[in-house]
Amino acid sequence: MSTPAPPPSSSHRGPGRSSPGAPPGTSPLARAAIALYPPSWRDRYADEVRALLDDSGAGPVAVASLAWRALPAWIGPPPQRRDRPARMRSHLSTALMAWSMLVGLGLVFAQLTQFQGYRPAGHPEVGWSYAVFDVALAVSALTAGLGGLPLWLLMLRQAHRDMRPRAIAYLLTPILAPAAWLACVTVTVRLVGGPDGVSLGWFAAVTVAGFACAALAAAGPGLAMRGLQPRGPALLLAARAAGLAAAVMVVAAAAIAVALTGLCLWAETFPGHHHLAVPALFLTLTVAAAAVTAVSAARGARAAHAEG
Amino acid sequence: MTEKLDRWADPPLLVLASLAAEPKHGYAITQDVAETMGVRLSPGTLYAVIARLEARGLIEPLEAEDRRRPYQITAAGAEVLSHQAERMSRVASLARDRLGTHPGLAFA
Repeated sequence: MSTPAPPPSSSHRGPGRSSPGAPPGTSPLARAAIALYPPSWRDRYADEVRALLDDSGAGPVAVASLAWRALPAWIGPPPQRRDRPARMRSHLSTALMAWSMLVGLGLVFAQLTQFQGYRPAGHPEVGWSYAVFDVALAVSALTAGLGGLPLWLLMLRQAHRDMRPRAIAYLLTPILAPAAWLACVTVTVRLVGGPDGVSLGWFAAVTVAGFACAALAAAGPGLAMRGLQPRGPALLLAARAAGLAAAVMVVAAAAIAVALTGLCLWAETFPGHHHLAVPALFLTLTVAAAAVTAVSAARGARAAHAEG
Repeated sequence: MTEKLDRWADPPLLVLASLAAEPKHGYAITQDVAETMGVRLSPGTLYAVIARLEARGLIEPLEAEDRRRPYQITAAGAEVLSHQAERMSRVASLARDRLGTHPGLAFA
């Protein structure tokens, strides 16, 4: 095998070369582009891509291409690794991120439909869908929380014992990020809210901030898992619970689809009845998040089944 | 027009053709494809293709050398490449024949 040797480091510094002293291939732009990929993909290919960027010089075009390709990578996870615990951890991280986004979309759905009292007369399907969504969301959150708790405690103990403050901070993000968001929402509503709630602009800002907090809360445990590399029964339980939580959340997503379609068809006061583009976009995002959640969680659960 | 026709240079096929000679890592593949086939594969495209080919069992990873992991074509990959090469060869042959029947269209 003769693989062309990469150019010598000292004689080849492209625009994306890292600064002296920093690990190679870690220019901020390249790191940001790689960070857009799902954890399972990063786990599998990030080192190789960093090496490639380092060898070839990561110009803006190369980094932009890398960033653009991150989207389909969420839909089609990379091939499975032989190391089952590593496979479980990477799929668990991806599933957690997608599940958080799906829960966020579900909460936006509930706020804009159910809590506004949209129930078209003569069409009980919409009300049933609300009920199915509520139950599915609660069961999924409970399953994810209870199934992930032993793993979270195990990692917290390990991080505390090994004195790894960064890992502890990562593990606390699922508590701190939502708490910070709720505090911000409470303050915002008190400051700018009127008798009819907040304006559309403020609602959009609060929603975007909510998704950012959800992403942060989901990324924390994934990063902690990458560093601490937990194994054993707690990881197995978390992977199986993620599979179950994802399956239930897919039911919630289906309920969203049914309710939203019903509202667009039959609820004349519902804004989506007249402007289909927004509900269509929302449904697309929901379906994509549900697909990623289901695929990643199923792969993690399958690895757990094989390991168990 | 030429740029549009370049889309026929399907990246998975280029990667398979590059690996048919010998195992290579990412940088070596991009270099080989650029030098021998005149196509520049971006890192995003290359690793999307590698992931897809690996998932389908057409290539397989070897032991990593430092951070650079070489890939080699599998028997299934060689079969797919051979089939595609045969098809492309038939298209090329047909194109040559038909261009030859048009007076005034020189074919080099």
